[in-house]
Amino acid sequence: MKDLDFSRDKDLAKDFLQNSASAKYISILQDVANRKLKAIEIDLEDLFDYKDLDEEFVGRVTENTRRYVGIFADAIDELIPEPTEAIQEDDSDVFHTQRAEEGNENPDGTDPRQKMPPEIRRFYEVYIKASSKVQPFTIREVRASHIGQLVKISGIVTRCSDVKPLMKVAVYTCEECGFEIYQEVTARVFMPLFECPSKRCQVNRAKGHLILQLRASKFLKFQEAKIQELTEHVPKGHIPRAMTVHFRGELTRKVSPGDVVELSGIFLPIPYTGFRAMRAGLVADTYLETMSISHFKKKYEDYELKGVEEEQIARLAEDGDIYNKLSRSLAPEIFGHEDIKKALLLLLVGAPHRKLKDGMKIRGDLHICLMGDPGVAKSQLLKHIITVAPRGVYTTGKGSSGVGLTAAVQKDPVTNEFVLEGGALVLADMGICAIDEFDKMDESDRTAIHEVMEQQTVSIAKAGITTSLNARTAVLAAANPAWGRYDLRRTPAENINLPPALLSRFDLLWLILDKADMDNDLEMARHVVYVHQNRESPALGFAPLEASVLRAYISAARKLSPSIPRELEEYIATAYSSIRQEEAKSNSPHSYTTIRTLLSILRISTALARLRFSDVVAQSDVDEALRLMQMSKFSLYSEDRQKSGLDAISDIYSILRDEAARSNKMDVTYGQALNRISRMGYTEAQLKECLEEYAALNVWQIHPNTFDIRFIDA
Amino acid sequence: MVGRQYDCLVNPLGAVRFTFEKAVTSGTDPASLDRNDWGVADIFREFLFDKDGISQVPILTPSTVHRVQPNTLVRFRGMIQDMLGNEFYVGAYKNEGTWNTNKFTDVSQFAMDPSADMRVWERRLLYCVPVPGLNSWADSTSDEVEMQDASNELPNSPRAKKMREGESFMTEETDCGGPTVSDVDFRNKFSCLVKIYDSPESDLKLNDVFEFIGVLTIDTEVKNDKNGEHELEDELVNLPPSKVPRLHCLVHRKLSVPDMVFKSPTMEPKPHLVKEIRESLLHYLKVVLGDDELAAHFMLLHLLSKVHSRVDSFAVGKLSLNLTSFDKSSISVFGKRINNAIKTLLPFTHHMPLTVEYLNTVSLSPVKDYETNRLVSGALQCAEGSHFMIDETSLQAGVLNSNGVENTRLLKDLMEFQKVEYDFKYYKMNMDADVQILVLSEAKSNILPADLIVPFHPSSVGPLGDVDEETLNEWRWYLATLRSSPHSIETEMQKVVEDDMVAARQVDRSLGSEDFSRWLTIGRLMSLSFGETCLSHQHWQMVKEMERLRKERLQ
Repeated sequence: MKDLDFSRDKDLAKDFLQNSASAKYISILQDVANRKLKAIEIDLEDLFDYKDLDEEFVGRVTENTRRYVGIFADAIDELIPEPTEAIQEDDSDVFHTQRAEEGNENPDGTDPRQKMPPEIRRFYEVYIKASSKVQPFTIREVRASHIGQLVKISGIVTRCSDVKPLMKVAVYTCEECGFEIYQEVTARVFMPLFECPSKRCQVNRAKGHLILQLRASKFLKFQEAKIQELTEHVPKGHIPRAMTVHFRGELTRKVSPGDVVELSGIFLPIPYTGFRAMRAGLVADTYLETMSISHFKKKYEDYELKGVEEEQIARLAEDGDIYNKLSRSLAPEIFGHEDIKKALLLLLVGAPHRKLKDGMKIRGDLHICLMGDPGVAKSQLLKHIITVAPRGVYTTGKGSSGVGLTAAVQKDPVTNEFVLEGGALVLADMGICAIDEFDKMDESDRTAIHEVMEQQTVSIAKAGITTSLNARTAVLAAANPAWGRYDLRRTPAENINLPPALLSRFDLLWLILDKADMDNDLEMARHVVYVHQNRESPALGFAPLEASVLRAYISAARKLSPSIPRELEEYIATAYSSIRQEEAKSNSPHSYTTIRTLLSILRISTALARLRFSDVVAQSDVDEALRLMQMSKFSLYSEDRQKSGLDAISDIYSILRDEAARSNKMDVTYGQALNRISRMGYTEAQLKECLEEYAALNVWQIHPNTFDIRFIDA
Repeated sequence: MVGRQYDCLVNPLGAVRFTFEKAVTSGTDPASLDRNDWGVADIFREFLFDKDGISQVPILTPSTVHRVQPNTLVRFRGMIQDMLGNEFYVGAYKNEGTWNTNKFTDVSQFAMDPSADMRVWERRLLYCVPVPGLNSWADSTSDEVEMQDASNELPNSPRAKKMREGESFMTEETDCGGPTVSDVDFRNKFSCLVKIYDSPESDLKLNDVFEFIGVLTIDTEVKNDKNGEHELEDELVNLPPSKVPRLHCLVHRKLSVPDMVFKSPTMEPKPHLVKEIRESLLHYLKVVLGDDELAAHFMLLHLLSKVHSRVDSFAVGKLSLNLTSFDKSSISVFGKRINNAIKTLLPFTHHMPLTVEYLNTVSLSPVKDYETNRLVSGALQCAEGSHFMIDETSLQAGVLNSNGVENTRLLKDLMEFQKVEYDFKYYKMNMDADVQILVLSEAKSNILPADLIVPFHPSSVGPLGDVDEETLNEWRWYLATLRSSPHSIETEMQKVVEDDMVAARQVDRSLGSEDFSRWLTIGRLMSLSFGETCLSHQHWQMVKEMERLRKERLQ
């Protein structure tokens, strides 16, 4: 009865292989016949999509996979086409032809042991692969009830054995009758035959002595490995679990220790043999017979979105406030620092790399330097960013390894060859490199970092090796001021203590000062008391997005490469030149505005456009970019402003005055005014205050509805 | 009436089978019994706790392990040191038409027909060791074993008979065991493989201390069955059953620090009683610390500290103490006194003399060994509530190798975040810890940044005098109980505290959230030490006064 079922299922399998969509398997079978392929992978998803889908059949395949691998193999045996190309005959083929000839002469072919098992003639392997849509199990989720089934798991490979041959079919010849005897091996150990079971020997009572023919037997490559749960799957207070995994044939040598993989395979018990089986085999070892391997990828570019994530991102993108929402979700436990978080979000997003026709490359990665007093959570911000980025390296300027930040040439102790070993910056290629204690960096590394930050390569000329390694990384640096704390009596340049050449390479330089402020102190005291009292952080007032959502959104945003429309070029150019002019006017410039600054503006605006999922940079992006650049220097300027005796209101007035003078008009629209002042780091509330105050003085008139400004000329 | 058909103590498996048969005959499908209890736990809970059978259950120790008969009920107290994953076994099988079970045993009752109908079930393996740093007074096994032995001396009792059998078994063991290991050594290495059924995974966590009560199996016949079949040997090969007994756990209960301290919970925290004990303990600490009252106060608070919650990466409630100003002569006197005092007061203590060589050679963090597939324990793998006394005075200037650097980083992380990094080679995992750390150093320790730095100013070396067991027990009870009592700050008091903090920060800009946090912790511990659950003005003033005195010393 059961056999009947299986033969019917074999027909089903045949139908499927012949009629599946786009004739995928027919072409695979042809390639196999031509000896181009050795493995036939049957994707369960194809089986699901098959037009004459029999759900029960799919169910049977997943529940009793090992049996169905055999059924599919039988089906393929019957379907395999003739080779269409000339094939190189190897040893085994010669054997097969010989056997086939002998087989015809065999007088008593009824003996099952003498019948050639189909296995020995197969030159291909069959695998059934679990659907890629199914969420993989963690190792601890695989239960006793999964035995015999096709399961999909994820984990990290911890150990691998050597690849060894595993006997699949043992072939013997009999000394007496000369027949070949076949024995199929299904387990890892088998009991060899000693007496010839052929009819002739039995009739003659010759007790023919059997000799194992290694050349004629069929072997498979075999490898055993252990995989272990990933950290994120281990519940708190538990130890990662491990599982034994077997690889056969074409799947061997696909993994090495340290790989993070997703495997589908059959979860099987190992039958005990010998003494242990006699002890009633109470305990069964289990292993996973691998059917397919896929490696996890950790780059943004390779990030595949899952269906749920896509929906979530679409919903987020529709929400207008995505910029604020995402930036707030970065390190939500760190209070305040909204603009810094915005900048860090842009660092994660980055701008596309551009390669000009003449071969010049313009980097798209944003570099940010956070400078500030000790204890303002710089390191925490850095570490958090690293956890969000799919590829991030955290290191300190005084990196402990000899390789340092860039790369080193090292002598291999065994072969005496020189080998290149990448440092943190090289390891963070296509990712983010966070460098703490940037100011305490070795001089040699600091010179190398110039190259990394602009050309995005690391050049090595040591010990006869001259080469250049890619280091396309966004640098996020944190540094302390020159005297440990920011000294307000000294100039900013003295405090910052980094060479201008290096500083100009940062798109944004942020100064975080710990200022004496009653409100801040009270806020901090409240926070600490709250934590002690309620054993949790105070509510954030919003639900931060999870890191995985953040990562998915950013990776989706990184796929875009927005362009700058012609009409914005003029706008950016004026903005740039006005910054240059302002700097020329001031007698102690705090920044070095160079052509790099212009590139920075473009980069930040492009990153902002990416965040909006837009292909075109808008003026609002440029304004926000300018605002961020202004805010990053804000703390420096605020000191200045106090010195020059200008308060915010009068400063806004002079900005507006200048704006009107430049355009030679008496009118400034409210939108323009808001743009200008927000670029200088002021808020809308301050603008309104200024408008009211000066309107009262009859300096200008304010339009009651639009708030447009008209200067009353004196 | 025949009475019960089984004896829970001597034949626990009888109870298991009896209930299984009952369940099957009452129509339960054997297949549905995987990870389900069919009433076994209730029977044993009733026997152990309601009928006080637990005192009759022998405790598994190196000395008793060979005397206890296999397949009887035993108990084992230990810390979960490693988790070996789960094991699949034939849970139920059909023999001549009736279902039988293999639950709670390694060997089946009847020979199994490989073709018979069977169900594969699973159980979890936990590798348990005695709690690291367990002090002898807290070790309930040491005295009870003697008691057990005495009761076993009755001639002709079935137990004595078994003992004799056990003896022959034991000689057999020592014969092949080679040179005998010293008792202390053996004791520390004595471990037990506990097999857990049914209970949810989240119940048993790494480094938790448990008492397991279950069926002991010592399966000698499998021990030499190493058939080289496996390329990568499974972990059990390295734990031969002849050395590591198997315990099939029927009932388990978590032991916290108070459980370790006294055998029977007697005392009620009455306010006047608490104050009395506080006074006498403080006095004792003062004598130990050479009449340094401030240090004694801080020491008391330190001994009461406990991580009571975690907010983000911050462990709230920890209070590590750094006593500075030691020199060669004072460390030799007081180091020992402090160590002894702590040892008699707390159940799990570790003493760690810090030297360059020690840091360079020892492995502090537990490391996963993939060759044996075991977690190799490090000095920092310890039970919740352990106390570490780190003596930095013996540290000389020297060069640390990479291991040493790693170790100092681990110690620093432990002090700052109360976390220990476990090395799984391909990745590291942070495990939460809850340990009290006391550092003794010459000057402020930079390697180990403690929450509290108190320069130690002893004035006299008074005799310690004898402390009777009863007082000691009172102190132990005091420290063990009060540390986990609840605590809160009233809204009104919160305002006062906040204002004090802001005012302090206006004066001294260097104060940060760590300092505020420390004040609150001290405040909390201060009111707890008086047996109160609310911060009062008086105690807050005491905190501020103590901080002032401490600051004076630091200058």
